[in-house]
Amino acid sequence: MKDISRDLTRRLLSDRKLTQLIVVALVVFLGFSILVPDLFLTPRNFISMAFQIPEIALLALGVMLAMLTAGIDLSVVSMSNLAALSTAYLLVTQVTEGGGNVYVWIVIAIAIGILVGLISGLANGAIIAGIGVTPILATLATLTLYNGIAVGIRNGQSIIGLPPEFTAIGNGSFLGIPIPMIILLVAGVGVALYINKTGLGMQSVLVGANQEAATYSAIGVRKVLLMTYTLSGGLSALAGLIIASRSASANPDYGASYVLLAIVIVVLGGVNPYGGFGTVTGVILATAVLQMVASGFNALRFSQFFYQLAQGFVLIAVMILNTYVDKRRLKAKKDKAPQES
Amino acid sequence: MSYITPLEKRKGLKLWGSPNEIFLIVAIVVLSLIIGLNNSVFFSIATPFDLLRSSLIEILFALGLLIVLISGGIDISFPIIGIFAGYTTVVVMLGLGLDTYSLWIPLVLAAIIGAALGTINALLIAGFGLPTLIATLGTAGMFRGFLLSYIGSVYIANIPLGLDQFSTADLLSVETGQGTLARLHVLVIPILILAIAIAWLLRRTMFGRTVFALGGSEESARRMGMNVRWTKARIYMLVGAISGVAGILYVSLQRKADPYDLYGTELEIIAAVVLGGASIMGGYGTVTGTILGVLLINLIKDNLILLGIPGSWQRAAIGLMLLIGVVGQAISDKRRAKQATVIEEDAS
Repeated sequence: MKDISRDLTRRLLSDRKLTQLIVVALVVFLGFSILVPDLFLTPRNFISMAFQIPEIALLALGVMLAMLTAGIDLSVVSMSNLAALSTAYLLVTQVTEGGGNVYVWIVIAIAIGILVGLISGLANGAIIAGIGVTPILATLATLTLYNGIAVGIRNGQSIIGLPPEFTAIGNGSFLGIPIPMIILLVAGVGVALYINKTGLGMQSVLVGANQEAATYSAIGVRKVLLMTYTLSGGLSALAGLIIASRSASANPDYGASYVLLAIVIVVLGGVNPYGGFGTVTGVILATAVLQMVASGFNALRFSQFFYQLAQGFVLIAVMILNTYVDKRRLKAKKDKAPQES
Repeated sequence: MSYITPLEKRKGLKLWGSPNEIFLIVAIVVLSLIIGLNNSVFFSIATPFDLLRSSLIEILFALGLLIVLISGGIDISFPIIGIFAGYTTVVVMLGLGLDTYSLWIPLVLAAIIGAALGTINALLIAGFGLPTLIATLGTAGMFRGFLLSYIGSVYIANIPLGLDQFSTADLLSVETGQGTLARLHVLVIPILILAIAIAWLLRRTMFGRTVFALGGSEESARRMGMNVRWTKARIYMLVGAISGVAGILYVSLQRKADPYDLYGTELEIIAAVVLGGASIMGGYGTVTGTILGVLLINLIKDNLILLGIPGSWQRAAIGLMLLIGVVGQAISDKRRAKQATVIEEDAS
């Protein structure tokens, strides 16, 4: 037992970026606990945060998968809204009062929602891997397209009044743990296993590290990219379903600012925007940090725009810090090299 | 087998305009014919005048973005810089009691504010070497957050007199058949001059050629002894200034300063510039193509209903067009790359 915990600490500390993040998380936690203890340091606040973290973390995991391959997925929010809207549409039209098979329809609607996400992601992958469009542009185009489809389906109106059997998923708890959090943890373990244990996942990291080398090493870059963006679509759909279930509604324009937030989280979580490195733990921890900042700001009565300002600032500060540290390390390595020879 | 370099080929085609520009013109003409045949109201002098009025500000933003795209970067923050500069200028002028008829004061002020914000982008991109997408995504959030938290979050209807008056300054107005007045805004001329100036800047100056070289290959540009950093810095400052001017003109044409405006328009403008043939990978793009791209998007946007597409599908239509644009570009890029290898093989 002692060995395992020592091993775990060593492994956690071996990842410099993760260590940094744990320190940041502690500082943020202690800071707000001291500043606004009566509003921040309450069980209620932490339960509410536990319900809010999963949807954003799932979107961020989608962006992370794309960034691992040195790409980016800007369409995650559009995909999540499109999936949520499809599910909500089915639920509202099929689950009528007194209609017998509520649960059957909920399962079908959820399956369709996830399928919509997977197909949207697959389309992204096909455009990027098959035709060779740069990820930024491809997902920028599909961001507009998927959002446009979501707006078009219901004339830009949101769907409200989802059945309570469905909303119970997003608002319920199992053994005291919020169900969305359980979904996130399962998805997180899944993504971690995909990256670290499956051939395609490990190849995706190699593609991000050096696409040319990957091509010459007979890695099927196209297949890897196709899988990456499809998974990103699936994760986004999960996020969309959680949002719909939590709010009992689906809105085509929900969370427009989540694109910036997801990228902030991914970069803060230590994922290299140039590809080749990133961890699920980092991303989930970074989401928790930003959620603490959001609810801390809320307790301090700062506006949501101030939070947007803080997000932008954090993104840039982390990026500057990373380039600075990387440069210094590179220099230290260079200085060291001649002495050794 | 004659030896054709891609450059000579491009020169040869230049007499006719690039294939992309011809495609855009054909698309605009064909679309106009379809719309007009469906609804004869379209064939009126008011249509091109309205189209120009709704495109002017976007053209200005798009020309700024074009420079960034040619250099191989991307900017997400320019509409936010625009509305930041426009709104702040109005706030400052009203705060100082400068409710004058002057147009130069707000223009210069907005350009300075825009350039200052552009300098922040320049510092991050040229100074710290951050990736352009992430840097401008971050600054867009910061600028918008700062604007709405510290400068103001309320809509200002009483903009300074000069700006208010300018919104109805017409170059010419023609009485149409229906008895309404078709008006062409005077802004057409300065924007045309600015477009020519930017084309000249890109084609004929050392700065412009460096921008192209940077987009073609940053490493090559550096090894040729070009000052890559300083060029990048100047690009983002210039784009900031252009966006600032576009922002204050937007405020003027709207006759109100709303800090929530323009947020999210970056996608549409990127779409227009890419549709206009500029390469997101850098190294290629034209002013004419950019203007045609903006006109095409606005033509479709303004007349979707006349085309029989319900208004709620407008965004999907724009997304689809953007997708067609980027896919078409990627395919033609691939073909060009293939041709280049074939030519090399022939030569050897």
